[in-house]
Amino acid sequence: MISNTSETIASPARRNRVTLRKTVLACAVLAALLVLAIVLMSLLGSEPLPLRASLCALASFGTSACGLSQDQFDILFQIRLPRILLAAAVGGSLATAGAGYQALLRNPLAEPYLLGISNGAAVGTMIALVFFGAMEWTRPILAFSGALVATFAVYRLARGRAGATPERLILAGVIVTTFLSSVIVFVTVMMDATRIRSFTFWLLGDLSGASKALLPVTIVVAIAGTLALTLNARSLNLLMLGERDAFDLGVEVGRVRIVVFLVASLLVGSSVAASGSVGYVGLVVPHLARLSLGSDNRISIPAAALGGALFVIIADTVARTIIAPRELPVGAITALIGAPLFIYLLRRV
Amino acid sequence: MRAHRDYRLAALGVAVVVCALLAGCTSRGTPNHGATREITDDAGRRVSLPARVDRVVSLAPNLTEIMFAVGAGNRLVGRTSYCDYPPEAKAVAEVGDTLHPSLERIIALKPQVVLVSTASQLEVFTNQLQSQNIAVYVTDPHDLEGVFRSIEQIGEIVGNKDQANSLVQKLRERTNTVAQAVQQKTPVRVFYQVSAEPLFTAGHDSFVTDLMRRAGGASVTADVPGAWPRYSNESALAARPEAIILPTGGSMGTANAQVAEALRQSPAVLHGRVYKINDDLLARPGPRAVDGLEEMARALHPDAFPK
Repeated sequence: MISNTSETIASPARRNRVTLRKTVLACAVLAALLVLAIVLMSLLGSEPLPLRASLCALASFGTSACGLSQDQFDILFQIRLPRILLAAAVGGSLATAGAGYQALLRNPLAEPYLLGISNGAAVGTMIALVFFGAMEWTRPILAFSGALVATFAVYRLARGRAGATPERLILAGVIVTTFLSSVIVFVTVMMDATRIRSFTFWLLGDLSGASKALLPVTIVVAIAGTLALTLNARSLNLLMLGERDAFDLGVEVGRVRIVVFLVASLLVGSSVAASGSVGYVGLVVPHLARLSLGSDNRISIPAAALGGALFVIIADTVARTIIAPRELPVGAITALIGAPLFIYLLRRV
Repeated sequence: MRAHRDYRLAALGVAVVVCALLAGCTSRGTPNHGATREITDDAGRRVSLPARVDRVVSLAPNLTEIMFAVGAGNRLVGRTSYCDYPPEAKAVAEVGDTLHPSLERIIALKPQVVLVSTASQLEVFTNQLQSQNIAVYVTDPHDLEGVFRSIEQIGEIVGNKDQANSLVQKLRERTNTVAQAVQQKTPVRVFYQVSAEPLFTAGHDSFVTDLMRRAGGASVTADVPGAWPRYSNESALAARPEAIILPTGGSMGTANAQVAEALRQSPAVLHGRVYKINDDLLARPGPRAVDGLEEMARALHPDAFPK
């Protein structure tokens, strides 16, 4: 009771300091876990690698082979590590985008996959693959455009006279998702029959194509996007009160909305271009972040980014080891973990 | 009185209908109309067929090729959009693709038998066709012997048994020639790349795995479960294949012409032992599979086949 009172009468500056300290602490713990996961998961795979030598090579950042054979070294640094880093970037991007949409749309069910935004990015990527197959750089750009178009479509459809009610938003998401799914089916039918299997695999989310060219782009976008949304977290906090109230409190609603739409679409676009549609990350991870750390976006957005990275790294390790040397699409694992966890969360809240 | 007459009229009507039905049944049951025979397909189903088969629909390119090769191409009334060989096949009506054939178009073509290549989506499909008195014959070869059996069985279905047997005999002779040529050779460790991104290969249940063995190769993925498994990049790298086969250039077009990134440092690439072979010869378990076998054997053991 006393602590409660002291918090309500504490100066805004002091409260900000407390928030900052809490953010830094939470992020430090999560970042440490992330590094640990990257190291541990890179020791697991369909091919066994010597433990000591692998740890030694990882500790040297690949400058020393530590007695690993050339093949073992390549498996560790050319295949596993890039894939794990891609998993981290994709997980971070999707979780951050989810947190952003949830804050902006004031709806805890907003998620890139469920709103059809991932599908928009997938259509963009497919167009890039079909028409500009050789030019890899067109994929994230068209995926971003597709995600942006889908985002605006959902937003416009969801806004009725009474504003964007949760029901309208979910309905709009269903409509956009199913419409774009049929566009995807249409493109696959028009496409080369022999490539359909690869595409269905990719559509479910597949991290094996950790392309050298796209990996740095995906990582940079993930970090920059998370920073951009975190910097707007205060406005997002106020927006959660309602656009009208936020406006009265001095938030430039229009500007923040455009920033979130652009940044979230960029995050979804770059991750879908690299790995297809990995579902439920943007839903489950921000929820867990808010449940454990509170709904202040200044904490929950960066925490969701790190948590998303952790979640997808672990899910992908399961996908690539459970039936080794065969593989599952990572999207199947995230949905398998994500859907029941989400139901559990819904019942608890 | 009135009611009584109505009752008699109704009884008369029923009797007429029953007689008509019985007559219909007996006339349909006469031997000259519906003599049937039974044959067991690759799914272990007993398929009952009319004595003479004049109208066949094929739902896979390899089955279309077999129909023409056993001299029954003129009895093919329907084919998939993938069936492009021999060129005459293109004159046959299309019924959709292998995975999504149009059921009503098939029924409209009035086939007696529909040939399908795997047991996928069989149940719904078969039930609907069987209710129309159309037999469904399933082929599912896992090795070259299975391909030969498909040819012989389809020959038997269409009543061209001799032609089918002599075709199989010729194919066997060519297969034996290859076997003798590579007999003394050390098997080459080979990787079969179905697609690079994501990496798919031929597994234990694929007939291509048997083709590779017969061509004097040893598939590094011969023990992986399934026919076309999704394969781990790092396992492919660790396998260090001495040769890589890229099925490409046929229906694939220019797709699959590049070795997967994980295999770029493999002995196969370093020694220039990457072989592109027309995917239609390797992906279709039909008569041309032996062409594929010969090409593969020549690629893996060039010194065993003097010009």
